[in-house]
This record gives sequence, structure tokens and C-alpha cells, in this order.
Amino acid sequence: MTTSTVLLRLTGLTKTFGGLTAVDNVTFDVQQGQIYSIIGPNGAGKTTVFNLITGIYKPTAGDIVLGGQSIAGLTPDRVLRRGITRTFQNIRLFNNMTVLENVLVGQHTRIPGDLPSVLLHLPNYRRADSRAHARALELLRFFGPALVARKDDYAANLSYADRRRVEIARALGSTPKLLLLDEPTAGMNDPETAEAIGYIRTLRNEFDLTILLIEHKLQVTMGISDQICVLDYGKKIAEGVPAEIQRNELVIEAYLGRKAPVE
Amino acid sequence: MSTQTQNLRGPSSIMGTVRERLDKTQIGGRPPSYYLSGWRLGVFFLALALLFPLVTDQTLQVTAISVGVYVLLALGLNIVVGYAGLLDLGYVAFFVVGSYTVAVFTGGILQRSDGTVAEIRQFPFWYLLPLAALLAGLFGVLLGAPTLRLRGDYLAIVTLGFGQILPIVFQNVPWFFGQLGMSALPPPDIGPISFSDTGNRAPFYYLTLLLVVLVILAVSSLRDSSLGRAWVAIREDETAAAASGINLVRTKLLAFGLGAVTGGIGGALNASFLGAIAPTDFNFGISITILVMIVLGGLGSIPGVIIGAMLLRFFDVYLLGKINDTVHSSPLVTGDGSPLHFLATLDFNTAKYLIYGLILMAMILLRPQGLIPNIRRQRELAGIGAAPEGVSAVGLFEQEVAGEELAAVDVGEQTEYVGEGSEALGREDHV
Repeated sequence: MTTSTVLLRLTGLTKTFGGLTAVDNVTFDVQQGQIYSIIGPNGAGKTTVFNLITGIYKPTAGDIVLGGQSIAGLTPDRVLRRGITRTFQNIRLFNNMTVLENVLVGQHTRIPGDLPSVLLHLPNYRRADSRAHARALELLRFFGPALVARKDDYAANLSYADRRRVEIARALGSTPKLLLLDEPTAGMNDPETAEAIGYIRTLRNEFDLTILLIEHKLQVTMGISDQICVLDYGKKIAEGVPAEIQRNELVIEAYLGRKAPVE
Repeated sequence: MSTQTQNLRGPSSIMGTVRERLDKTQIGGRPPSYYLSGWRLGVFFLALALLFPLVTDQTLQVTAISVGVYVLLALGLNIVVGYAGLLDLGYVAFFVVGSYTVAVFTGGILQRSDGTVAEIRQFPFWYLLPLAALLAGLFGVLLGAPTLRLRGDYLAIVTLGFGQILPIVFQNVPWFFGQLGMSALPPPDIGPISFSDTGNRAPFYYLTLLLVVLVILAVSSLRDSSLGRAWVAIREDETAAAASGINLVRTKLLAFGLGAVTGGIGGALNASFLGAIAPTDFNFGISITILVMIVLGGLGSIPGVIIGAMLLRFFDVYLLGKINDTVHSSPLVTGDGSPLHFLATLDFNTAKYLIYGLILMAMILLRPQGLIPNIRRQRELAGIGAAPEGVSAVGLFEQEVAGEELAAVDVGEQTEYVGEGSEALGREDHV
């Protein structure tokens, strides 16, 4: 951690669905340039935190501050314009669009959207559009020439690992400050997971990102995280550097269950 | 690991057969067409259309103009339904707004309910065409704004209601000429070109053609723009689209608005061509007719939609009459004792919507992608890439890393584990 600027700050973030409190008074800071992980058992509210940050849900209480400005309650497209993008746990590509088109949609905000520009393909629109094409190819190339070769294939026809890659390429299209990755190694075996971890580090360095990561696999988070927050039943039960988390009694309990009382 | 590989042969071989099927039907590999591809074909048809009045009589030209009006309407509805995927059953509303804008502002001969007749002369058609487009677009946005939260059937019902209400409003609000409407609208004469000669329909024909060509250029430009991409993205996955920076409200309203603008242009042209309007001309049947046109031709496909409109309009103004004549003069029907005698009193024009309904059903059952399909729509209808909601795609696809094919690991939501030898925590994920 070279700088100590807070990029994202959650304060008392709460979300209830009827009687269920999915996220309960969660507070944490993410520093600029960090890889910050949120871990916790199934149903702990990790994805809900992501949905709150990206504006898919509106918080019941609490605040979300990005670089000093509150983004709580903004619509997802506004949140993206402020510099946050995300991937989804179950990979949500536009299946009947080509790989290139998927990555182009990620750059939607970089192309003028006013009606005259769009309708008449005015010079400023054309320039932005060809810049977007070039950048889309660049992003695909980052993940290897194999993906560039498949740019005109429909996203539905890609392998699972390639779909993950395209989703990240799409998310990077808007040149975000903060990238939210929701279980990027879900469904991957050990060698693939190792490769993905390498990618996450490279992404942070190459694209000058701060990364907020949801991860199930403890070995993944321990290896790459600067800071970890543990959620259980919507509450933050621990926060700290990986070594602290590994020793934390509450965390072990949340994952493995309570120790049987010794007679 | 090896047993898992065995288990996964099933799904991956299913993927294999799907791909084979795709290749056979030629919808797998080919990417969607881009701006003005196939333009040679377009120029060819444009040349044919330009020569059309030189080789045809007035009747055919009049038919062509009314076909052109419906081509405009179908292209407009296609923006809403075909591109943005919003089912609009009240599209006639924008046709009404376009027609009435022209009628109200050009003036004409007005028959009041007390029997008096008034003649009003106001603005020329050429100012009113853009005004009609603008006002219809405004109505489109007005209708769109409150209905954006609705999806599927609910949106269809609200738009249907809007389409029903608007003609009734025009019929009953005093300054819109009431039940009898307005007649003798002035023709859009400009300089030496006279549109009023009923013996020479070529000017109107070329005006219609010009508008159709302009609208085709506009909608193909939209389709291949970032806006067109945004529409497809919204149709595919609204959440992912919003998370990619697409403003859902603005993008959907643009679809409604632009569709309505086209409807308004169609209405203005039609009112001016017919020279008369009456509120009873605008009914639910028109909304359905246009919908059948675009489903018949192929949702989202510009050539498909044009063909659909032409076929159905041809059927309506020409074929239906022929069927009537043929059936009514057939000896099977005219003979007194013949079993088909009941058909003698059946006017097939009244069965028009029954036939449209049958066409709609037949298309949905047999060829939902339409006669000239949009490739992407065809894929959507074939269910390609449509993962069941809430089901993780994990395990359905074989994985490749650095060209090496690896067995998929079936790591479901509920079977995640931590570290070596630890127990799985089978807690349901609520979020």
C-alpha cells in the first residue's frame, strides 16, 4: 500500500428484503490501488453488497462514497459513469451478440449517444466508434490472440473460461477506477484458478485499478488480497490483512461451524 | 476428476449437436450484417421502385402508395418491438396523431353535427409533416414514460389501452371535428408539382417512396449504431446492460419515441393522400395488422418487415377481393343444394382479422423467426445461449485454457468448500 487515499467507503450500509436483513450495517474502506476481498459463507450478503454499490439495489440505510462523493441510490449506468464496473457471479454476457459487440457495449458511455450523432453517424460519432472498436480489440488482445480471432463469434459459443475473459474485457471498456469481480474463479479448477489470480494482479497493475473481489475460495483471497472483509449473515465479523483473518476465531467458526463445547 | 469428465460428456455432446444444427441452418457462424451491406440489392429494388409508375396504371400506383404507408408503419413498429423488444399493441395511436396533426393544421371541409359545413384553409402539408413526426414522437415518449416499469404482457395491455383511447379522444374532444371527421384536405402541392390530379398519382407515389427510403436509411443507421447495440443488449439482459452504462429509461424511451415518429410520418402521409380522416378509421385492427406484418416478415429484419407489410397489404387490398369473387362465383357455392352454399353470404373482408390471427398463429408455431429473419432474433428464438434464470452456467460448457481442453469442474453454488477436508456449508444463498 503506497498511498492511503480512500477510494470507496461504505458506512453503515444496510439492505433489508421484507423481514430479511441481507446486509446489516456494513462499514469498510477500500484504499486506492488495493485488492480488497469480501469473503463469507453462502448467503452472507456478498453479492448484495455488490448490487448495492453498483446501483442494482437501493440501500435501506447507510452510505456509499466513491472518491468523496456519495453514489448511494444512483442508477447502475450513473454508477458506471462515476467509474465503477463489475462482473457477475454467473457471467452475464449478451449471448446473441458477438464477442466484439459485447466489448463494445462495455464502452457505451464513450460513444456519443445524442440522436443526431447516432442517426447521421456524424464525424464525432464515427471517430468515437472507431476508437471504441480499436480499444475493444486491444482489450481482447490483452487476454490473448485466441480471443481476437473469435471476435465475430457469438458469445454463447465461447468456452466457459473465455466467457469470463470477455466479461472482464467488457467491464474494462469504460476505463473504471474500481472493478468489482464477483467470484471470478467460480467453476474453475486449480490450475485455472491459479491463472485467474495472476490475471487479477496484472489487471490491477496494467489498468491502474482498485479491485473489490468476492471470493469463496480462501486460498485465492489469502494469496492476492491486501485487505479482507468477512461477512456472515449480512454482518461484518472481521476485517484485516490475510494473516489476521486466517487466525480469527469468528471467521473459522463461520466457515466450519462452532466448536463442540468441551465436557 | 476422470469420473467428472465422464459425467460431462453428456452436456458437451449436446452442445455439439446444437452447433451442428446451427451450421446446417446457417445461423451459427455468420455475424450480423452491418450498415448497408447488401446495398446492391437495395439499389436494384430502388431502381425498380423508381420505374414502377412508368409501367403501371393508376390503380396499381394507388395500391403501392397504401402499401408504402404500411411499410412506414411496420418499419416504425419494428423499432419498438423488433429492436427494443417492447411489445406495443397500441401503435395505431401514433398513426392517429400524425393523421390528425395534418388534418387539424391543413384544414379542409368540416361537417358539423348540426349539418353546417365550414371550409378552413391553413398551413401547407410540408410544414406539417415534421410537426406530425414531432408530435407523434412526443406522444410516444408520453406513453413510454409511465409504462417503462412494465414488462411483457403488462406493457402490451397498457399500450393496447392507449391505442383504444386516443381515437375516442379525437372523436369526442370538440375541436377535433367529431364523428364525421374532416374531408377535402388540401393536397400538398408544391411549385409546379400538383398532387391533386387523381388521374396522375405519380407525385404521391414518389413522395411515399422518398419517405420510405429515408426511413429505411434511418432505421438501418440506428440498428448499426451504439443505440442499436444498446437495444439488443437490453433485450438480452437488462441488468448487464445497465451495469455496462446503458441508461435503460432513455434507451427505451428513444425506441418508443422513434417508433412513434415513424408512425406519425405514416399517418401524415396517409391523411394527405386520402384527403380525409375520420376517427372510426383508426382501430385496434390497424395495430394488430402492423404487428402481424412484422412477425410475418421477421422481427428486427428490415427487408423482412418490408416484405411482411407488402404481402399483407397486397392480401388486404387485392387478394381478399379476389377470394371473395372466386368463392362467390364458384359452382360449389352458388348451387342451391351444394354443401358450401353458406359461403355465398360470407364476406371474406369481414373475416380478415380471423385470417390475420391464423397467419400470426401459424407463423409463431411454424416459423417464428419470420420469412426473412434477423439472424440474431433467429438465434434468440432457437433458445441459443438462453441459460435458465438463476441457474449457473458452470458445468454446461467445456473449458479451455491455453488451447488445452480441461474437464469442467462441477462447482455448484451450494457445494463450495473451504480448504482441504473441510465440510461443505450447504446454506442457501439468499442474495
